[in-house]
Amino acid sequence: MFSISTEAKVGLFVLVALIILGYMSFRVGESGFGVKKGYQVNVVFDNAAGLERDASVQIAGVEVGRVEGISLKDGQALVTLRVLPSVRLEKDVEAKIKSYGILGDKYVDIVPGTEGEAYIVAGGDITRTERQADIDKLLSKLGYIAADVLEVTASLKKVVGSVEGEANLKAIIENTRSITENLDRIVTQNDEKLNLMIANLGEASTEMRKAFAALNSVVRKIDSGEGTIGQLVENKDAFDNLNQTLASLRDITDKINEGKGTIGKLINDEETVDNLNEGLKSIDKSMEGIEQYISKAEQFKTFLSYRGEYLFDSSEGKGYFDLTIRPNEDKFYLLGVVADPRGRRTVTDTTVGGTTTRTEKRERDELLFTAQIGKRFKDIALRGGIFESTGGVGIDYFAFDDSLQLTFEAFDFNSDKNAHLKAYAEYRFLKHIYLSAGWDDFISNEGRESPFVGFSIKFEDEDLKYLLGSVPIPN
Amino acid sequence: MNKIAATVDNFGRAILENIEEMGRILILFLSVLAWMARPPLKLRLIFKQMEFVGVKSIFVVVLTGTFTGMVMALQGYYGFRMFNAESLVGSTVALGMTRELGPVLTALMVTARAGSAMAAELGTMRVTEQIDALYVMAANPVKHLIVPRVIAGVIMLPALTIVSDFMGILGGYFVGVPVLGINSGAFINNINKLVDLGDIYNGLIKAAFFGLILSVVGCYKGFNTTGGAEGVGKATTEAVVLAAISILISDYFLTAIMF
Repeated sequence: MFSISTEAKVGLFVLVALIILGYMSFRVGESGFGVKKGYQVNVVFDNAAGLERDASVQIAGVEVGRVEGISLKDGQALVTLRVLPSVRLEKDVEAKIKSYGILGDKYVDIVPGTEGEAYIVAGGDITRTERQADIDKLLSKLGYIAADVLEVTASLKKVVGSVEGEANLKAIIENTRSITENLDRIVTQNDEKLNLMIANLGEASTEMRKAFAALNSVVRKIDSGEGTIGQLVENKDAFDNLNQTLASLRDITDKINEGKGTIGKLINDEETVDNLNEGLKSIDKSMEGIEQYISKAEQFKTFLSYRGEYLFDSSEGKGYFDLTIRPNEDKFYLLGVVADPRGRRTVTDTTVGGTTTRTEKRERDELLFTAQIGKRFKDIALRGGIFESTGGVGIDYFAFDDSLQLTFEAFDFNSDKNAHLKAYAEYRFLKHIYLSAGWDDFISNEGRESPFVGFSIKFEDEDLKYLLGSVPIPN
Repeated sequence: MNKIAATVDNFGRAILENIEEMGRILILFLSVLAWMARPPLKLRLIFKQMEFVGVKSIFVVVLTGTFTGMVMALQGYYGFRMFNAESLVGSTVALGMTRELGPVLTALMVTARAGSAMAAELGTMRVTEQIDALYVMAANPVKHLIVPRVIAGVIMLPALTIVSDFMGILGGYFVGVPVLGINSGAFINNINKLVDLGDIYNGLIKAAFFGLILSVVGCYKGFNTTGGAEGVGKATTEAVVLAAISILISDYFLTAIMF
């Protein structure tokens, strides 16, 4: 029988052991082999804490070398890297110390530079470095943040956490619930009515379009002097007649203001208006035709305003009564009467045999009238027409949601050398109540310039539209 | 009075005996060194001992190493899983085996197997007066019996440790990768990255020291056996206990010096 000698057994065993040792050594020391032949590069970091010798040097996560040494140089860390000869670093590469996760080992990460730059030679320096994120700094910052959050939650706790806060919160939730319940009920109950309203609105707009077309033609006629109003504008006799008519109109409006007569009661008594509203609503339900008619009226916005001005210079008052009809947002018609204590001055030149006599007549307590067409462009409105019974133009500027109005008017171009200019500001300080201040006739060459303050009342829309609803509108 | 005196007396005697024993072991070690330096060495006897200490211990050492590596992987896994660092199991097993467990466990196994055998063999020779016979034949028993055993121990222990390290890492890999599902690339890369050549070589130097200790202690206990068959048994037990303790204590100091 063939037997293996003792020596062979021992030799074989030792050989196997050495082979295993060699294999293990090779595997363990493997990554170091290539680097030994590499070249040295120096980097200076502000802080190389945690970086150790033989730490990995990586580009894009691929190991290209090892840290060969770390030493102190001028209060900074001089780190010597040994980089594989096959890897060439451009002059503008950037080195930073990174770590594998928060607790992991540190390594040097190299961000590749621009292609085409010169390469760093052996023993050269990497000049660009990036400060590493210091975990201690990070933690101290986190500490500050936590303190802030704590303060916020503490104050929140004071607000919400107290018995009072809790009660308030409960009350808010209760209120919200009852509001939503009410809302739900209202919507459910009025579902049909809402639908009806929308349908009516649709029909009404069609009617409105027709109405505007008709109105335009009326205005055109007025412009060209056709019809009654047209003649009124053009004809002096008619003019005088109108003045008289308007005087009596003033009496009527005075009475209205005082609450005398049917219309006065109608305007001044809320109950009447309510009754009227109710009546109109019942008519709305029962009669389709009238409903359309009223819808049409509802499209209009109408303003009735009274303005009193006190002129400091002559210590006299001046009254304006205006009706503004606004068919749509950017267009309006203004009709009104003005009571001017200074009256209207008329100059008549009479020539008798070469001598010209100038007679000047001043009509005191005369009613003047106003009829204007206006167009509004966003915050600016331009007006033109008859101002205090003379031709003129005006411009209004509206600010602060229309609560402030700046106005400039120019009219009466032929009464004296200079036109009558008037500038004032009007401010709404309560609903329907306005205060104004300005300068009247400020370029007058007859010493009529005067500062004034005014007070006005403007009724809008709701209060008047039913009244106007009964005024025939050209179809 | 007498009793107290006797207790103190016994205590002192025990310490003195221990110190004496240390001295005698050192003297034996020195004489081994002296005889080693004096050629010719009996190669045939050395190889015989190497076969006994080394080759015949392979099976035990492979078994011990493999299972140690496996259990380390298992235990390490439970620990590292808390930090999501399961891939570090490989390097833990490799470092533990090469630095510590490979040399120590191999030494302990060889002590139990070969160290005890040395003590028993030499003890029997002593009580059957064969050692005296060697003296009569003008053959120095230290040169013929002890030197080959010490040389075999010092050489074979590192060799066995290499096998133990390798099998341990293999066992750890087997448990870690297929059984526990650790990524094999991460497992091996972490071993390559974190284990240095120094770890392996220092482990082997330790193993050589352990080989020296176990063979010298084993031979000493056997060489100084008295009292027949009973004495042989006692010598064997004492040899294993003393060698094992010496290995563990010296392990601490060797580690402190080397790492």
